[in-house]
Amino acid sequence: MNQPGETTHFGFRDVALEEKQTLVNDVFHSVAQRYDLMNDLMSGGMHRLWKSAMINALNPPRDDSPFALLDVAGGTGDISFRAAKASGHGFHATVCDINSDMLEVGRQRAAQRHLDHQVDFVEGNAETLPFADRSYDAYTIAFGIRNVPRIDLALKEAYRVLRPGSRFLCLEFSHVDVPGLDKIYDLFSFNVIPQIGRVVTGDAESYQYLVESIRKFPKPNDFAEMIRAAGFARVSYQSLSGGIVALHSGWRL
Amino acid sequence: MNTPPDRSESVDRKLLEILVCPITKGPLEFDAARQELISRSAKLAYPIRDGIPIMLPEEARKLD
Repeated sequence: MNQPGETTHFGFRDVALEEKQTLVNDVFHSVAQRYDLMNDLMSGGMHRLWKSAMINALNPPRDDSPFALLDVAGGTGDISFRAAKASGHGFHATVCDINSDMLEVGRQRAAQRHLDHQVDFVEGNAETLPFADRSYDAYTIAFGIRNVPRIDLALKEAYRVLRPGSRFLCLEFSHVDVPGLDKIYDLFSFNVIPQIGRVVTGDAESYQYLVESIRKFPKPNDFAEMIRAAGFARVSYQSLSGGIVALHSGWRL
Repeated sequence: MNTPPDRSESVDRKLLEILVCPITKGPLEFDAARQELISRSAKLAYPIRDGIPIMLPEEARKLD
């Protein structure tokens, strides 16, 4: 366990580890209903391409062979529904999210899409997953790991619940490395996104946090090293859209 | 006798086989009447609300 007084980042502020989870919860309770709409507005629809890249990498079986996906921090179900669409009848997903409001949105959508028999929802913590060892064929986390207070614990838990021969995939904001684009990206992030957040969700502060937390997240090479440290092999990443996002991959062998 | 409330959502049987206590990673007993998942090893009962297991110790009922 963490020592009392140990701190982590909440955006650009240093906060106690325990406080971060509460603050992050407030952000997502505040924006749950309009989360996917905000993703469209903030990314100009590009989040759809990034998620498609993740589903392509996941490459779930199209026949009826069984395939169990654990989608962590996937509350609104977006990744799981896309994966289900790309899969055969053997596909099954568990969405695990710490936030009840995000899960409620996901559960309603699963019912509307008639996917409730293929997608289950569980409220749980990425650092202490409530699943048995070696239960899943793949683990995905899209734009979620940045919000986990102790990322190393979440990665170890991912490794634990995966079966040997299965894959870890993580989509996360990264660091723009294209000259020129970095300046535009900064301007957009710090000036435009909180304003869109204010208009659409009535909550500029939550989006200010999101923007700041992106900058605090480790560089892709450093994050790849953390994935290796958790036990994963053949660790790699792919930069998307000039480094705005990176798709990280590792295998449990 | 309590009849279990009519639920459009029930917990998937396969999911119940995979779920463990997040603290001890020990097995859970399913109490269908109370809609709880009981961890004897952690002495906690995790609630199921609207078919969603809430596997957070801070939301669980303490046993004893």
